[in-house]
Amino acid sequence: MKKTYILALVLVAIAIAAIFSTVSDSGTYADFTIASSHPAEEYHVVGKLNRKKELTYDPHKDANLFSFYLIDNQGNECQVNYTGTKPQDFEKSEQIVVVGKMKGQMFHASSILMKCPSKYNNSQELKEIKTS
Amino acid sequence: MENQYIGEHLAFGKAGQLLIILTFICSLLGAVSYFLAVRNNDLTWKRIARSAFVIHALAIFSVFGLLFYLIFNHYFEYYYVWHHSSTALPIKYILACFWEGQEGSFLLWMFWHAILSIIVIARGKEWEAPVMSVVLVVQAFLASMLLGVYIFNYRIGSDPFILLRNDPEMSNLPFIRMPDYLSKLKDGRGLNPLLQNYWMVIHPPTLFLGFASTLFPFAYAIAGLWTKRITAWIKPSLPWAFFGVMILGTGILMGGAWAYESLSFGGFWAWDPVENASLVPWLILVAAAHLMLVFKASKRSLFSCFLFTMLSFLLILYSTFLTRSGILGNTSVHAFTDLGMSGQLLLYMLFFVVLAILLLFKNRRNISLSKDEDELFSREFWMFIGTLVLLISAVQITFTTSIPVINKLFHVNLAPPVNPKDHYNKWQLPIAVILALLIGVTQFFNYKQTEPKKFIRKIAFCTFFALVFSGVGIWWLELYQFHYALLFTAGVFAVIANLDYLLWIVKGRIRFGGASIAHGGFGLILLGALISMGKSQIISHNNTNIDLGKDVPNAENILLTKGDTLTMGEYAVTYRSRHKEGVNIFYEIEYFKRDSSGNLKKQFSLKPVIQTNPRMGNVAEPDTKHFADKDVYTHITYADLSFMEQKDSDYTEPVTKTLKIGDTITTSNSLLIVEALDKKPIVKNISLEPGDLAVGVNLKLIDINKKEYHTEPVFIIHDNSIMPLETQVEDLGLRLAFANLHPETGKIDLVLAERKNNAKEFIVLKAIIFPYINFLWSGAVLMILGTIIAIRRRLVT
Repeated sequence: MKKTYILALVLVAIAIAAIFSTVSDSGTYADFTIASSHPAEEYHVVGKLNRKKELTYDPHKDANLFSFYLIDNQGNECQVNYTGTKPQDFEKSEQIVVVGKMKGQMFHASSILMKCPSKYNNSQELKEIKTS
Repeated sequence: MENQYIGEHLAFGKAGQLLIILTFICSLLGAVSYFLAVRNNDLTWKRIARSAFVIHALAIFSVFGLLFYLIFNHYFEYYYVWHHSSTALPIKYILACFWEGQEGSFLLWMFWHAILSIIVIARGKEWEAPVMSVVLVVQAFLASMLLGVYIFNYRIGSDPFILLRNDPEMSNLPFIRMPDYLSKLKDGRGLNPLLQNYWMVIHPPTLFLGFASTLFPFAYAIAGLWTKRITAWIKPSLPWAFFGVMILGTGILMGGAWAYESLSFGGFWAWDPVENASLVPWLILVAAAHLMLVFKASKRSLFSCFLFTMLSFLLILYSTFLTRSGILGNTSVHAFTDLGMSGQLLLYMLFFVVLAILLLFKNRRNISLSKDEDELFSREFWMFIGTLVLLISAVQITFTTSIPVINKLFHVNLAPPVNPKDHYNKWQLPIAVILALLIGVTQFFNYKQTEPKKFIRKIAFCTFFALVFSGVGIWWLELYQFHYALLFTAGVFAVIANLDYLLWIVKGRIRFGGASIAHGGFGLILLGALISMGKSQIISHNNTNIDLGKDVPNAENILLTKGDTLTMGEYAVTYRSRHKEGVNIFYEIEYFKRDSSGNLKKQFSLKPVIQTNPRMGNVAEPDTKHFADKDVYTHITYADLSFMEQKDSDYTEPVTKTLKIGDTITTSNSLLIVEALDKKPIVKNISLEPGDLAVGVNLKLIDINKKEYHTEPVFIIHDNSIMPLETQVEDLGLRLAFANLHPETGKIDLVLAERKNNAKEFIVLKAIIFPYINFLWSGAVLMILGTIIAIRRRLVT
């Protein structure tokens, strides 16, 4: 057999592996109900900030703990603990995506992605804050 | 009745719109004329086409100049000017405003195409007509992005000269209907503070020049298929391909440097979709350029030459689609916003994909795969393997970056990987190992055939040397994780093998050593990336806080109270002071080290910034101290900005103290000394009349760092009423007023108010040490220089 064919085969195999790995590594969008029934799994939860409840960030006590209440798209509310500082303009966010998993009654987020409406523009500006 | 508006400069916009239409029409006219020139082999058509191109190019330059002029003069009646600039903006950022928006960056792209086209017209000879025909079709597509005309309710393009009062969002505002609305419109919206950076001035033009340079190899490939010069196109497009490799590579690295220096990515590469979108075409272009070399030397890999060359340009179009259609929406931090042109972008991309496939299919018989067996011990074989590895790298990155597209196409709902860095590194790190090995090994093969013994003799020396060197390096840097050690060894091998080749085989003749220099540089980039990222050390670990458990070990931020000193890694760090300059608040962070006798000695201080912007949100910009062997990066992740709002409620109830000269009292953060009375104080804002009395008191304040402040509140009797002039010591959060003078005792009444949170002003910061990141930058410089040298040699021969 020619080397070219072997190479082509290897190439196709690796490409398929790459695609599989993307699918298996890819996250899942979920709501808090699903997240709490699978506490071992990490999820992306999309929701809105509950502005009526308090945002807690007391850097004197812990500079790496920011906590707030998020209402997911199903309308369920859950407290989210984020390991990091309070993002700029968090209160103004329109939509929030938190990535992490449930722990007891709380959702532990390792990263937050927020969409802020800018005042003079309908277009949305994204901000991403990550700890990794 | 039509409103009359005052103070508008409408002629510029009208001229601009006409010029855009002119560029569009002339690019179409030029494309068709060049097409006919090829078909009929006719000089008249060629002459017409050239004239069309000249008008087209001049019109682009004029539009460019006009838009620049409008921004420079702050003509806010134009939406683009209002939206992207403001009067407060320093002149150096005017260009940054220009290409902040989509329209400006399309213009920039067209501008580079026009400039590069001049080279094709001047030097292209028989290639001019077919190549320029393709180029002008691309220009027509790009110009259509700026037309802003409606056809059957569908808007084609977005016009940069649209008036503010005609913008759909703005036109509903009542004040915009007033004739003198411009006088009410004090200022523009301004440039996003994140983009107010010198990188924003130089990075986009470089990147777009890179984008523009991928068009020319593509146009040559199409021209080759079209005019049945199936192999002849490779020679003239080779320098273009390497030029693209150099410029696009520079642009990507600049983006990385920008992210590292002033955005808060905490590194120079974050696998952000927008970064990936320009990396992938570069990888493919590198492969294409190498395949052209393979073909030149061995007449092999013709089909791959076509495929990769075309793919690199098509991927530029795809990345344009990804970053500008808004489809990345949820996954990227800095994708452009949607201008409602995704349909147009898609059409643009599909047109060239179909064109490429059709032409390849038509010529399938001429591009036959070579029938004879490949020689294992040949340079072209391993170069070919290298291009396949680059392809795999590109496929993997593209696939993960395209998750939002996959969601749209197949109606699934995949989220991006939870930990993107790990996901990409899992694939790209082994790929980098293979590439580094190939870069080192391949040059020791000859084209066509190599004597195995000779090859082994040549390579044995540098292999031995590389193994010893990397062994020592792994021990020295403690790179004990297997995959790190592997990449380190491969990287060291790539550098040493190329150095060896440069010294012994090229014999140090630099002008023949372009490839070795560039490849060695790439090896250094890998090493720099590996060490600086793999061994980066977050020194701002918060040890004192409550442990949240194993799940959240990322306590990377530390609270620093003003004046306090904390140990971070080998340093002791103090937050010394803060001062405000315009919109920027500078925080002075001092780094100390203990000397042999245990005393703290100041090493350096850093000034990370928070830029305040009430409209678009505040932005924190890190500051980095560069050493030869490491960088110390410091970034403010949270700051208490309540001092910005001067409210009475932020201050304690004023206290009155009766004091005499020479008295010392304490405030919560300083000592206050009453030094002397001043009979002739300087009084601003009030014109004193004869009979008025003004007495000042000189006060000295000393803070805990023994820093002295002087201030002089003034006591005034004006028209028989008492008017104390209050003074403020901003850094100490003190307000002082001289309220009364007791002539009989010589005592004075001093009213004191302190800021409530005076005692606990703090910042939260993150500090990271990136070791040996200079390998990366020096590697980048070498790679760029090496490529330039290689292009020069290609152009000379």
